[in-house]
Amino acid sequence: MKTILELKGFSAWYDHHLALKEISLEVQDGEILGVIGPAGGGKSTLIRSLNRMNDLDPKFRADGTIRYRGIDLYRDPVDLAVLRRKLGMVFAVPVPLPGSIYQNLAFGPRLNGPGDGLDAQVEKCLRAAFLWEEVKDRLTLSAFSLSGGQQQRLCLARTLMLEPDVLLLDEPCSGLDPLSTAKIEEALQVLKKDVTVVLVTNNVMQASRCADRTAFFLQGRLVECGPTQQIFVNPREKTTRDYVSGRFG
Amino acid sequence: MARWIQIVAALFTGLTGLSCLLILAMVAIILGDIVIHGWPSLSWTFLSSAPSADLGGGGVFPAIFGTVALVLLMTVAVVPLGVAAAVYLHEYAPQDSPVVYFVRLALQNLAGVPAIVFGLFGLGLFVRFAGGGLDAIFFGGRLTFGQPCILWAALTLAILTLPTVVVATEESLRAVPRSYREAAYAMGATRWQVTWRVVLPQSVGGMLTGAILAVSRGAGEVAPILFTGAAYYLKDLPSKLNDQFMELGYHVYVLTTQSPDVEKTKPLLYSTVLVLLLVTFALNLVAVLIRSRIRRRLRST
Repeated sequence: MKTILELKGFSAWYDHHLALKEISLEVQDGEILGVIGPAGGGKSTLIRSLNRMNDLDPKFRADGTIRYRGIDLYRDPVDLAVLRRKLGMVFAVPVPLPGSIYQNLAFGPRLNGPGDGLDAQVEKCLRAAFLWEEVKDRLTLSAFSLSGGQQQRLCLARTLMLEPDVLLLDEPCSGLDPLSTAKIEEALQVLKKDVTVVLVTNNVMQASRCADRTAFFLQGRLVECGPTQQIFVNPREKTTRDYVSGRFG
Repeated sequence: MARWIQIVAALFTGLTGLSCLLILAMVAIILGDIVIHGWPSLSWTFLSSAPSADLGGGGVFPAIFGTVALVLLMTVAVVPLGVAAAVYLHEYAPQDSPVVYFVRLALQNLAGVPAIVFGLFGLGLFVRFAGGGLDAIFFGGRLTFGQPCILWAALTLAILTLPTVVVATEESLRAVPRSYREAAYAMGATRWQVTWRVVLPQSVGGMLTGAILAVSRGAGEVAPILFTGAAYYLKDLPSKLNDQFMELGYHVYVLTTQSPDVEKTKPLLYSTVLVLLLVTFALNLVAVLIRSRIRRRLRST
């Protein structure tokens, strides 16, 4: 399998607070990598470092390397607009933009082009996010008229419109009901044929259901990373065993 | 003990309520006085005719026209400038940079400068420096823009009202959720696209609030236009940017101070003040209507 993202000795700070300490980790092409760990462990910092969203925070500093398909994200010249399309991100809280469902889907493509003739792609992405049947008759309605779970699938579909290479999901189901969660997980299993997924989740069971491999983060350190089966059944570290069995966190 | 606390509580409720009543009473007295004394001599002729040359009679039409033209010109100047400055301060400049610090400091100071200082400043910068310069370069030294006129008066007022617009716009930019910006950035939007497509449409209402506040402030100011363009008495309406103009606030000042017979001009004065209030109110109303219309249109899309 090919490595698509490679972190080597990557550390990150907010001001003087060390958020990630010397992380070395690889993400393989076409896999779903689950990232688990208690809150404040650096999961979000990690995922937001991958598409350089952290750059928006003036307090953020980073050291070490992250390579995406061989490109050193923090040293080589990188067009952030292009990078963030390649590594599409979905946030923990669904963020529909003001406007219709259709306008939300078209937002990405319209940034760089005329933005017409998108109908087929809109349908394809909404189907991929398991949302098409629910919204196909009301694409012109405000995106805020959708339920929370629908809004999150809308955000997923909106990100898919960018035709990303990697999907970065930052606790995408944290506020959703079990049914919406199931739909998103179902979508991911289909999507992984075409994209690589990094799935940060505060729900250990979600990682065990979805992820091919799982990484466990604790207090800014990568405790261990391995096949999901092994992490859950036979972890190397005691802290991992305690966490996945629900003894703390 | 409990009884004592109840008395104090009642006392404070009474005091705070009384303060509010006082405010209401003052507004009612001012408005009532103006309306009662100004209404009788308010007529269509008064609104549509020019004052007589001795200022003892006639109407106020040139002053109404001048006020409206002045305020419109000022709005056209101050809104784009103020909005652009606010967008730079809030969206572009790094928040801890000394530039931002000094610009904010300058704005706060600008807001505290007495209006008469703006008048003298306008005379120096616009009339003499800019106007004089234009005349020297483009008009062969012939007096064209190097004199007090409606353009320079409007620009002076624009500087006076600039802090208002910047602060109101910044407030509305601040109200746009950070998550909108992040979502747009995460879809590969550049800073310009985030600002133009996501942030600005959300804050149009706040910008227009700034414009409304600027209109309210600008329409009533006399001192800044005293040396920069307002005229004591004019037969003709201003038709070019470098014409002088009459203005309601200044007209009130002139009627109060320059008339030989105070008792004779008193009804005239009251009516003029009433008209000034009505014009300011009407200008505000127009701006409020435009704002609610834009908001409705934004909501429907």
